[in-house]
Amino acid sequence: MIEARGLSKRYGDVVAVDDVSFSVGRGEVVGFLGPNGAGKTTTMRMLTGFLPPTDGSAEIAGYDIFDDALAARRSVGYLPETPPLYPEMTVNAYVGYVARIKDVPRRERREAVDRALERCALADVRNRVIGTLSKGYRQRVGLAQAIVHSPPVLILDEPTVGLDPIQINEIRGLIAELAAGGGDAQHTIILSSHILAEVEAICRRVILINEGRKSVDATMEELRSQGRSLEALFARQTGGDAAAARSAAARGANGEGGS
Amino acid sequence: MRHVPTVAARELRSLFVSPVAYVVMSLFSVLAGLFFVLGVASFNARVLQLRQFQAMDALAELNLNDHLIAYFYDSMSVVLLFLVPGITMGLFASEKSNGTQELLLTSPLTIWDIVFGKFAAAALFVALLVGLVGVFPGLLFVYGDPELGKTLAGLLGVLLVCWTYVSIGCFASSITRSQVVGFLITFVLLLFLLLLPAISQLGVAGDAPALADLLRWLSTGDHFQDLMEGLVDTSDLVYFVVVIGSFLLLTKAAVESVRWR
Repeated sequence: MIEARGLSKRYGDVVAVDDVSFSVGRGEVVGFLGPNGAGKTTTMRMLTGFLPPTDGSAEIAGYDIFDDALAARRSVGYLPETPPLYPEMTVNAYVGYVARIKDVPRRERREAVDRALERCALADVRNRVIGTLSKGYRQRVGLAQAIVHSPPVLILDEPTVGLDPIQINEIRGLIAELAAGGGDAQHTIILSSHILAEVEAICRRVILINEGRKSVDATMEELRSQGRSLEALFARQTGGDAAAARSAAARGANGEGGS
Repeated sequence: MRHVPTVAARELRSLFVSPVAYVVMSLFSVLAGLFFVLGVASFNARVLQLRQFQAMDALAELNLNDHLIAYFYDSMSVVLLFLVPGITMGLFASEKSNGTQELLLTSPLTIWDIVFGKFAAAALFVALLVGLVGVFPGLLFVYGDPELGKTLAGLLGVLLVCWTYVSIGCFASSITRSQVVGFLITFVLLLFLLLLPAISQLGVAGDAPALADLLRWLSTGDHFQDLMEGLVDTSDLVYFVVVIGSFLLLTKAAVESVRWR
């Protein structure tokens, strides 16, 4: 579903993302883990077509992000770190607008909007103006926006940041549901986080990004079978111990094959 | 280009659910009415004065189109110079500060969908304001006999001048994330546009007639003047298409530039 090949992003001399490759299969839920500023958001932005990579390329649902840019963008639902909301619009009008610009055919639009609102438990507030909603609701509107066109791929940047524990649980449940849905409703999901427990709770695979490079790519099972906790891994990877990082990366690469 | 109406409709919707549209429309109506009444009063004073002096030749030359409607249109084009930046300042800047730019650029929209959609929305709203301008000369048809063709050509002039303002406002809004900065840049560019004929005089004085001619041509002034005299000349229409098109092209480049960085 997602094929990233040597994605790199440089701003002048600053390397934000350096040669990141990975592949994600249908129905997988992958967690992007890494400290702030590691390059998670930049990588996601390249996959969604917001930023073109300086080097490398990617395919989303079989569409190249350069050659088939529009088809690739149609296949992605994207929730940026700050939900892209128009505060003066109602929830209903907003999600309807997104359905329109995501090319949902006219006949299916109403149904698509209803389904997205239903799944995100927004039916009660559909006529409210977004600017008056609480942060948890806004986050859910952001999610509804991402899934309204039933994209095969969902990219969620820090979907639970700034929410209270109850809201976090709700969002996590929703993500699990989106990944589990059968047939067309099944989404391939990449989500970024710096909360280890969150990744542990919802992801079946972890890609650790540090200083713009992919340093670990392993399934949760592999990590568990090696008796390593995510926490220890994270601490070691990001602690600046370069040798340990390299060896762990090698082990991570060997352990690959979950996709 | 399929999505131009989608983007335009959302933009207009936001304009009309916020108080901005209504505030602008009501204030503008008041100002337009005021300018019109003042225009009529000074026209009357002129007639009385010419009668007093028995200046029959001048009185015969006096007409509603050239001595009332043209002045009115001219002052309206200046009033709109102050209002249009307020209408266009948020077009692109607010997408950036809201974070909705990321939604637009990751949707299957082309950059032209976005740029034309937003321009169309602002252009339609401004057309509504120009429609309000048209009401006042319309009243004169009830009480007098202005020339219809000339009146409409002048109104077309006001519309085209305002669309030029809108295209400049689009560009200014696309290069900043702050609406205030967008307003100020537009305002300064529009004042510059207004002053171009005066600036071109410097060229004449400085013995660079070619430059002076170019600056004069670039200003809306002469083209607007032609239209107010009832001359709908292709070369004037070409001028508006070229200027509006150029600013929209710049806007497209600015919106796209997120991707180059």
